Amino acid sequence: MFGQLDLSVIKPSLGFIWTGLLFSANLTLIAMSGGIVIGTLLAMARLAGLGPLSRIASAYVNLMRSIPLVMVILWFFLVIPLVTGKPIGAERSAIITFTAFEAAYYSEIMRAGIQSVSRGQVSAAQALGMTYWQSMALVVLPQAFRNMLPILLTQTIILFQDTSLVYAIGAKDLLKAAEIAGKNYNRPIEMYLFAAVIYFVLCIALSTLVKRLQKKIAVVR
Amino acid sequence: MAMIEIQGVNKWYGGFQVLTDCTSKVEKGEVVVVCGPSGSGKSTLIKCVNGLEPFQDGSIRVNGVSVGDPKTNLPKLRAHVGMVFQHFELFPHMTVVENLTVGQVKVLNRKKDEAAQKAAALLDRVGLSDFAQKHPGQLSGGQQQRVAIARALAMDPICMLFDEPTSALDPEMIGEVLAVMQDLAKEGMTMMVVTHEMGFARNVAHRVIFMDHGLIVEDTTKEEFFGTPRSERAQLFLSRILSH
Repeated sequence: MFGQLDLSVIKPSLGFIWTGLLFSANLTLIAMSGGIVIGTLLAMARLAGLGPLSRIASAYVNLMRSIPLVMVILWFFLVIPLVTGKPIGAERSAIITFTAFEAAYYSEIMRAGIQSVSRGQVSAAQALGMTYWQSMALVVLPQAFRNMLPILLTQTIILFQDTSLVYAIGAKDLLKAAEIAGKNYNRPIEMYLFAAVIYFVLCIALSTLVKRLQKKIAVVR
Repeated sequence: MAMIEIQGVNKWYGGFQVLTDCTSKVEKGEVVVVCGPSGSGKSTLIKCVNGLEPFQDGSIRVNGVSVGDPKTNLPKLRAHVGMVFQHFELFPHMTVVENLTVGQVKVLNRKKDEAAQKAAALLDRVGLSDFAQKHPGQLSGGQQQRVAIARALAMDPICMLFDEPTSALDPEMIGEVLAVMQDLAKEGMTMMVVTHEMGFARNVAHRVIFMDHGLIVEDTTKEEFFGTPRSERAQLFLSRILSH
């Protein structure tokens, strides 16, 4: 069967695949940055113990973590036009959905990170006269972030793989581009294989990076 | 007006009373040692003084400002009350000199070079100029605690609180930390020190407070405390501590 593979179709599709990959990478980076920022705020809200605020944050995180991502992607894509009266496009819809969804997962990581910083550090920051926000920004979060960096990046690798789920709403990511190219040349197996290789190489490279980083951080401490 | 005035303070953890009717004061320029067996509430009491621990009843005034009053701006008050912790609590992600400047710049709004100058002078004073660019993890316990004292001093505190500053140190490092504290006391710094170092109490303290089960059992001058402690519990404590 593999003898019949025609890999010559890959070269003419490279440009097309590249735009798909760029969207996947963009989606990953935006969802990661936005997800970490919103996730950190959610984690702080949960840990601050401010009654309703903590409960709303908890409810949000638990809801997102209990629903399959592909359903959230579909729902958001279908519901938003009903609410706003006009469609916002698959790509934009995917970016908003992924940021909101990943925030829940990043928030759990940041919550563990914040809790990994000892109470004594908070006391020391307060004893210097820092306000709650100052002690968070200058003392707690930098350490929490550093402690959790490998796990945050590992989550980002998973996020990168999950971006392939946007095929459900037809956003042109790496997988979708491969699918289209495969149809154009009537060589779907070759193009899916090529896409798989790209996912594989990128993910392996990133996780090697994470492992190195882990070692480096371990030395500094 | 005393620098620290503790008036009828009671504190509970749930149903368990950790402080019972504690009353004492620390005058300006006075060095007061707080001692007692572990679990006697001495660390809790000193953490109440700068509001790191809340208390339910009574009042504490630092330089006339009521700590327990919800209207008090606690960060503003704490900025001028230095505190040194048992486990140093230097910020591990910052260099030594950054540890000394962060409060000055972010809390006191000093200019960066002014803060750096102050930090350099204080590091020199505690004998650690060579370590300015190192991270706390690269320093020994004794060195870290000296940096922690310098960090507190960088804020120009009106008084200093020490919470068992030598309890987490190897014996050979205790001396270097006590020496810094002794110098500070000689310069007239107001100090409240929770410690088991009775040698320090003898040499430096003006008064000694002895606590047991959340109560202030003795509150006397150093001479009287080491001469004739009146409570049996204090006598037992002293005999145990001084025998080794």
